[in-house]
Amino acid sequence: MDLDFRKSNSVIIIELGGKIMGGSDSAKFFEHLETWLQEGFQRFVIDLGRVHWMNSSGLGILIRALKTIRERQGSLKLARLTQKIRDILTITKLMLVFRTYDTVEEAVHSFDKST
Amino acid sequence: MDNCQDIESTYDREACHLDELAALAREASLHLGNGSDRSVVALVQKSLELPSVAKLLRDAKQERLQNEVFIRIGSELSSRLALDELLPQIIDSLQDVVHYDAAGIFLVDSETGQIEGQVLRGYQVEALHQVRQKVGQGLMGAVIQSGAPLRVGDVEHDPRYINAREQTRSEMAVPLLSEGKVIGCFNLESDQKNAYTEHDQELLTTLASHAAIAIERVRFYREVIRKRQYEEELSLARQIQLSFLPRNVPKFRPYDFAGINFPSQAVGGDYYDYISLTDKDLGIAIGDVSGKGVGAALIMASFRASLRVECVHNFEIRDILARVNHFLCESTDTDKFVTAFYGVLDRETGRLTYGNAGHDPPVIIHIDNSVEKLDATGMVLGAFPESEYEVRIFDFRPGDTLLMYTDGVTEAMNSRHEVFGLDRLVAECVRNRDLDAGALVWKITREVRKFCSPEPVKDDLTLIALRLPDA
Repeated sequence: MDLDFRKSNSVIIIELGGKIMGGSDSAKFFEHLETWLQEGFQRFVIDLGRVHWMNSSGLGILIRALKTIRERQGSLKLARLTQKIRDILTITKLMLVFRTYDTVEEAVHSFDKST
Repeated sequence: MDNCQDIESTYDREACHLDELAALAREASLHLGNGSDRSVVALVQKSLELPSVAKLLRDAKQERLQNEVFIRIGSELSSRLALDELLPQIIDSLQDVVHYDAAGIFLVDSETGQIEGQVLRGYQVEALHQVRQKVGQGLMGAVIQSGAPLRVGDVEHDPRYINAREQTRSEMAVPLLSEGKVIGCFNLESDQKNAYTEHDQELLTTLASHAAIAIERVRFYREVIRKRQYEEELSLARQIQLSFLPRNVPKFRPYDFAGINFPSQAVGGDYYDYISLTDKDLGIAIGDVSGKGVGAALIMASFRASLRVECVHNFEIRDILARVNHFLCESTDTDKFVTAFYGVLDRETGRLTYGNAGHDPPVIIHIDNSVEKLDATGMVLGAFPESEYEVRIFDFRPGDTLLMYTDGVTEAMNSRHEVFGLDRLVAECVRNRDLDAGALVWKITREVRKFCSPEPVKDDLTLIALRLPDA
């Protein structure tokens, strides 16, 4: 799993790429997330545009991320879902809990509308 | 030690004989000197004049003594199978080869530098910290880094020396080498300056090579034991897990059904079950835990237990799934979840009442080859405690085949990164319409393997086929 991130005002944009498979990917991801939460960030966008494979453990990362961020009164949006990820979220009915956007910009702007 | 004393007394006896022999020769030369063969006299006298003769004999005997000590040590070391027995044996044997006032043997991980084992003689308990420091830095540190032995005649004048003992004046360290890699170090300290000679260093190096072989042998043995224990535990886990899966297909006429499960590792996170509810109602479940291996198997066991408890006490599928979901949310990590399909088939009406908790949609292939999917009616289990599960119905018609599967079937990937997919699964079912359910699940499993070949199927694979015969 490739992990890159940037900050846009008060939003952390996390760019994931490659294969998301859980295990060490998960440890890396949550180490970063914990740091951002401790720094006081509450708005997160995960850009999934470059992810070409995700297994059930990878999906577990998204679920845990959503729950962790919500527990800390934060908000998570997903952007640029590939068809594969869209299918997984549809089959598992997890589309019901994730807010998804076609572009990163839309996802970032959605925070302004909701507050 | 008795053995060693025997050798020493033999040596003393032989040295004594040597002196006697010299005296006899001297006497003989006096007799021979009275007009006898002058050349013999010259020869004997010359040999006696050679100061090295006695020394050569002594050296040869000392070498023999040392060889015998090494043979004894070698045979003693080879009988040890645990490091905590072997290391003390080595350090005590060392005293027979080279004298020391304090000594240590350390085993280190060549990559991390971590001390993996140690045995010490002659150090105070309070100095243990300094002793360990010597391994990372100090003279031993240098030996471990370079893989070459080191002798320091006067430690006071060597800046690398770390003091772990006030009395120490000289030190010698020799690496333990295995296949060119440093696996540890011998360290000897003496209260005398310049206590260690080059000859001592050679002896210690020889002993170190014996010791390294013995240590590697013990480690190999330990690995074999560990691996065997792990395999036995996994095999037990596999047996337990197999006992969770249905052994027999319950008789449920007129339906013909069969299930199959192949974990990708010894144990897996897939599950299927048939639960007899009444004479006419049969519960059918299939589930897939996120992840693989032992962790997934444990969640699978929790899921099975909670589903079976809820099924017995509750006929409302929405409640069963909601309660199982709640239980899993409380008992599993936040990134673990289960996708599951649970349905109850009434054989008198042919009605399947079901809930699908985020599981890959089971498919019905009708007699005219049209396909229907039983999509999710609620979210995966174990992720969000407030999830709700809708209940839907499907009415079987003669000739219908229902296939329930885990993603080990549809996501099975070949070396060209293509997945087996739902279309191939349906096509296999259509093509093998004449097979009974048991033969069908085997046939599809074979096709999935053939599709992936030469790659193995990497995920747990579970498949249930349920048919209502045409006539």
